[in-house]
Amino acid sequence: MNSYLIFGNIAADLAQSGREVATTFGLSWPHFIAQVISFTIVALALRQWAYRPILQVLEFRRQTIADGISNAEKIKAELARAEAARKEIIVQANVQANALIAEARAAASRVNEVEIQKAVVAAEQIIAKAREAALAEHAKMLADLKREVGRLVVETTVRVSGKVMTLEDQQRLIRETNEQLAA
Amino acid sequence: MKVSKLARREAKMLLTLCMVDGLIDAPRARLVTGRLIETKPRQYVAILTHFCRLLRLETEKHTVLVQTAVPLSDTLRAGLEENLGLRYGKGLEYQFTQNPALLGGMRVQVGSDVYDGSIRARLNALEERFN
Repeated sequence: MNSYLIFGNIAADLAQSGREVATTFGLSWPHFIAQVISFTIVALALRQWAYRPILQVLEFRRQTIADGISNAEKIKAELARAEAARKEIIVQANVQANALIAEARAAASRVNEVEIQKAVVAAEQIIAKAREAALAEHAKMLADLKREVGRLVVETTVRVSGKVMTLEDQQRLIRETNEQLAA
Repeated sequence: MKVSKLARREAKMLLTLCMVDGLIDAPRARLVTGRLIETKPRQYVAILTHFCRLLRLETEKHTVLVQTAVPLSDTLRAGLEENLGLRYGKGLEYQFTQNPALLGGMRVQVGSDVYDGSIRARLNALEERFN
């Protein structure tokens, strides 16, 4: 009850103040109302044909910008994922490349070792064959020399024997053979 | 020419018939050969071929081929015949030839036995040792 009285007093005070302001500034109610109506009409007209299209354009732009920002964020996130995937792929590629290089090095090392062994064996065989060939050649030379010496000895003996052997020597040789027969 | 076992046996029997005191009797051998040609028994060609071969071998067994570089004196020849007679028995036929290629010594061949005491043989042996 008291609050109604208080609000009623405040409203009465405001009305009094309004009447005083209007009296002070020379307010004409018909003019004021006409101005209000004119302002309202202008405001409605502006709202209908000016503000609304502008607001629609602004809304469209805001939406476009929001979409752009959203797309940019999506693109950024996609780019980040792509970058991460790229880094991952690069890391995997590096790992695989390192593994391949290590495997290739191991294979090359094995091949190199095998080739070295083959080369060593081939060299040993060549040396052995050369040694055998040298020994064979040496033996052949010795045999040839021996044969030649024998031939020379026999040839010389044949030439000399006819001159140095006397008839007694001949008879003695015949007797020896005869004695061998008798034995 | 292939000689069968039977022909060999027949030829050997004929050879036995031709032997007198371990030696070939030439008239008997001629008689046997003539009869064989005359009667012409089975496989007589093969028998005759083998018989001739046996005759040749038997003759060679009793043929002594003596080669010397110089002529052989009578003393040495007699000694040689005596020694060979003791070793191979009697009935040997001797063929003495002179072969200067022997250079010295003597080479005696009786059948398939060879006694080579020549200088050429010794030199050949020496040359073989060098080879």
